[in-house]
Amino acid sequence: MTLTTTPTGSILEALRGDRSERPRRDTETAAGLRAILEDGLCELGDRLSRSAPLVVTAASVVRRDDAIDIARAPMGRLRGALVAQLVRLGALEHRSDNAFIDALRAWRVDQPAADLLQVFDDLDADGRARLATEVCAHGATLDRALGAVPAAWSVRTAVRTRLPLANGAVVLRDTVDLVVGASRDDTASTVLVDVTTSPIGSSAARLLRYHALAQCLRTSVVPWRVAMFSTATGELVTADVDVTLLGAAVDDVLGVVRQ
Amino acid sequence: MTAGLRLETLSPSALARVIDGAPTEGFVVSGANRRALAARLGAVPTDRHRRIDAWLVERGGEPATPFEWTPAAARRILGNGALRRATSDRPVALRDAVRDEIDDLLCRVAAGRSRAGSLGAWLANRHPAELALVQACAVDWATGLADVAVATAADWSVATADAYYDVERARTTLRARRDLVVGDGAVVVRLRAGLPRRSAGSGLRADLAAATFADLDGRAPRRYVGVWPDAGVILAVDGTDTSVRAGGRVLVRAAIARSRLGGQLAA
Repeated sequence: MTLTTTPTGSILEALRGDRSERPRRDTETAAGLRAILEDGLCELGDRLSRSAPLVVTAASVVRRDDAIDIARAPMGRLRGALVAQLVRLGALEHRSDNAFIDALRAWRVDQPAADLLQVFDDLDADGRARLATEVCAHGATLDRALGAVPAAWSVRTAVRTRLPLANGAVVLRDTVDLVVGASRDDTASTVLVDVTTSPIGSSAARLLRYHALAQCLRTSVVPWRVAMFSTATGELVTADVDVTLLGAAVDDVLGVVRQ
Repeated sequence: MTAGLRLETLSPSALARVIDGAPTEGFVVSGANRRALAARLGAVPTDRHRRIDAWLVERGGEPATPFEWTPAAARRILGNGALRRATSDRPVALRDAVRDEIDDLLCRVAAGRSRAGSLGAWLANRHPAELALVQACAVDWATGLADVAVATAADWSVATADAYYDVERARTTLRARRDLVVGDGAVVVRLRAGLPRRSAGSGLRADLAAATFADLDGRAPRRYVGVWPDAGVILAVDGTDTSVRAGGRVLVRAAIARSRLGGQLAA
């Protein structure tokens, strides 16, 4: 895993790198990983029930002692949700004068979770002003880091995984903010980017490999790279995806389910 | 019931196998089949014209909440249109194609050629940031559909419209949703969001039956394929006699359930 403090230039350009250096697309590994997961889940037998599926998320694989409470607090979640909208807009080259208003507009039309909407509605004028300042600051960092995103790049935003395992008794859920590159290319070209409004913590490695595993199982194609960008610190952490990393993610998931 | 259903883990090779490996012949419904369906649906009481589709089948006849435009509701129309545009004689990037689709709809509104409640009318009242989010959702949809399309070796096109069949004397319209048409209608692909419900197979058969009856010659698609990219799942059903009949039965069952639930709500 590589940590880059305040990367210069566009993070997407840096992550995509030189096309000639990319490995061939791997469509074989996913089946093996799925088999290991299914075998591991099968051993749990009666503890799993299809009528009440166990949902595994990126948050579940982060150890509790590593958890960043600030990101889980309602205001942290609200800020994260608004900045996530800025990621979506930024990927489409939408430029604005007021990042907060734009994020808020996009978030509201996207049918947000009722509890977060309530948190926002309960904010007084000072609270909203503080939130607006924070979102604009995170937005400015994001804007600088994203740079121009060429239209020809295959960019998807808020890419969801809802992967049923063990005949539907376990569901792997995940959302990646940005997925760049198509899984249909001959070379490995898919780059996953998770944008966080918190500083990058010790749980980053687990989160990154969970994202990689979810994407790999969903598409049956091993992604090339996975990264996390912090709009709080401007740090970028990246990892090239390989069998070792994905195997560790499988162990993480089985560990969560066994608990 | 899983008979005739084929379940695969989503991968480029699985898509190619499922789409390109469809049977060579599909069932053809007769006039007698049409009359039988009309008689069964006509026997199910309704106080207004009804539309039955896979969505209603999968929800066991439960009525949907009142429709309102959202980015998620708009993405299919815009995304399919964009992919059609992007693969035309003058190809453009999907991101630009979606923007062109939105611009076209906004122009129709400006020219007074758009109905109230239409997608264009809704888009015309959106803030630029909301429009950008709609665009993002449509780009995601179009990219997902393109990923499916390029897996097949056969000629494909984006469906220009869903298939509709007005059932004679039954105050019923059947709808089959379709996103990609491969090989002159031989294989039909639907892109679905989220996780497939347990009733997804019944929904796919309902689509198959509705598409078959909607065909002027009564010819069934050789295979109907549902792709759930979020879940990494492909479900497919062949256009056989058994599957089309099973699809007809689930459509009638949905109408009955809808009628009963409607009665309960009225009571």
